[in-house]
Amino acid sequence: MKSANTENVPARFNVGDRVRVKDLPNLYYTRTQMYVRGVSGTIAVRTYEDLIPEDEAWNRDDAQPEQFYIVRFLQKDLWEEYPFDNDTLQTEFPDRWLESVSD
Amino acid sequence: MSGESGQPPAAADGCQADLDLAPTPLLEAIRNEDKTWDKLAPRYGVTNPDPPWKVSLYATCECLAAGEALPSLERRRAEDQLGETLYSGTPAPEQQLLALAHIMLSRGLLSEKDLTRCMNAVRLRLEAS
Amino acid sequence: MQQSHNHDHDDGSHDHKAAPMVDEITDFEVLEIAVRELAIEKGLFTAEDHRNFTEWAESIGPAAGSRLVAKAWTDPAFKARLLADATQTCREIGVDWTEPTGSGTASDYMHLQVLEDTPTLHHVIVCTLCSCYPRPLLGHSPYWYRSPNYRRRLVRWPRQVLAEFGLILPPEVDVRVEDSNQKCRFMVLPVRPAGTENWTEEQLAEIVTRDCMIGVALPRPDRKADDVRPVHKANRPVPSEHHQAEAGE
Repeated sequence: MKSANTENVPARFNVGDRVRVKDLPNLYYTRTQMYVRGVSGTIAVRTYEDLIPEDEAWNRDDAQPEQFYIVRFLQKDLWEEYPFDNDTLQTEFPDRWLESVSD
Repeated sequence: MSGESGQPPAAADGCQADLDLAPTPLLEAIRNEDKTWDKLAPRYGVTNPDPPWKVSLYATCECLAAGEALPSLERRRAEDQLGETLYSGTPAPEQQLLALAHIMLSRGLLSEKDLTRCMNAVRLRLEAS
Repeated sequence: MQQSHNHDHDDGSHDHKAAPMVDEITDFEVLEIAVRELAIEKGLFTAEDHRNFTEWAESIGPAAGSRLVAKAWTDPAFKARLLADATQTCREIGVDWTEPTGSGTASDYMHLQVLEDTPTLHHVIVCTLCSCYPRPLLGHSPYWYRSPNYRRRLVRWPRQVLAEFGLILPPEVDVRVEDSNQKCRFMVLPVRPAGTENWTEEQLAEIVTRDCMIGVALPRPDRKADDVRPVHKANRPVPSEHHQAEAGE
C-alpha cells in the first residue's frame, strides 16, 4: 500500500452507488477506456487504494493515492442495440474518474 | 451511450512522440517469412510451438518496463500498431520481437549502428560454438 | 524444448536418438540476443534482473490456477476465503501476488479477484488496453488473448466471440465481461460440471484448463487440454484507445 495518509484518500463511493464515468482530458498514461466515457453504472467492488496510473507513470510518489473501484455497466447502456438486457461489463476506475448520479 | 472524445491527447511533460511506422532497412532485412518458427520447426521435426527465445523476449519486455525505459502500455500500443501495419504478415513471436526492436529504434534507445554491430558479434559467437 | 527419446534398449546399449533441434541460427534468434545485450550494455536493466525474470517466467503455468479451482470445488471453506480475499488465499497454494517476481517494482503489488460463475452467470476476461493477465496463476497469455481482434471484439460482441470459441450460452445465462484495465487481475471460477461426482482434487484440476479460467471454455469431464485457436483479423474493431478510431470496416 502506498498511502501514508489514509485520512485524505479520496474514496467517495460505496458498493451499490450509481456513478457515471467522466470524460476527463486524456493524458498519455490514462487507463480509462473511450467506450465507457459518459456512461452510468453501479459500484460493484471497492478494490484498493493506489496512485492513479498517470501519477505512477511519472513517478510522482508524493501524489495522493485514491480509492479504486470496479464499476458494473449494463451492456445495453454501452452499445447500441445490444440484445441481451442482463449482460454486463465490469471495469476498474480510480475515484477521480467517477461522479455521482442520482437516478 | 458511449462517449467519444474528439480531442487529441492533451500534451504533457515527457509525452512521447508518435511511433515512426516507416520500415527500417535493418529490420526489413531480418524479416524473412520463411525463417519464422512456425515454418522452421516442422522442417526439423521439432514440435515445440514456441521458439526457444520466446521467454527471454518476454523477460526483456518486462525488464524494460520495470526499469522504466519502455513502459508496458506504450510498448503494447506500438505492438498493436506495428502488428496491424508493417509486421501484420509476421507470426506472433517474431512480430513481437520485430516490434520491440522497432520501437526501441524509434525511441532512440538503440541505434541501427548499435544493432548491426551487436548482431554481427552475436552471430560470430553462435557460429563459433 | 520437447525431447523425443527412442527407448529401444534391446541390445543393452544406451544409444538415445538425439532430440530433434532446429539446426540453424536465424536472424530472429540473433536479434533477440542482440536487443537484450544492448539493453544491458546501455544500463536499461541488469543481466541479473533479466535472469530472475526468465527463471520466474519459465516456472509459471496454468497448473496453479487449476489447483485453485479444484480446491474451491471440493472445499467450501476454502472457496469462501478465496471469494473474500483472493490475493491472500492464493498463498495457501503457494502463490504470492505481492512478490510474484521478486524484483520489486511499483506495479508488483497486484490484486486478484476471482469471478464466480453460477448456472445463470458466466464471466469472461479481457484487457482491451494491453493484455493484462493473471500470470502467477495461469502462466503466459495465449496469442489470441493478446490480439487486437479478441480485445476489441469481446467487449462489444461477447456472445459472438464466445461462439467462435465453440461456447454458445443460452439467453437465460447472463454474460459478464471483465475488462482488466488497472491493477486487479482476474480469474474465472467456473461451475463444476456434472459427471465429476466423487472425483479427487487432482482429477478435477486436470479438466480445469487455461481457457476455462479465462472464460472462453467450460470445463468438461472429457477434456484435459485447450483447443488450438486460430487468430482472425478484426472486421469491426471497437475503439478503446485515445486516438481517433479507424473509420469503416
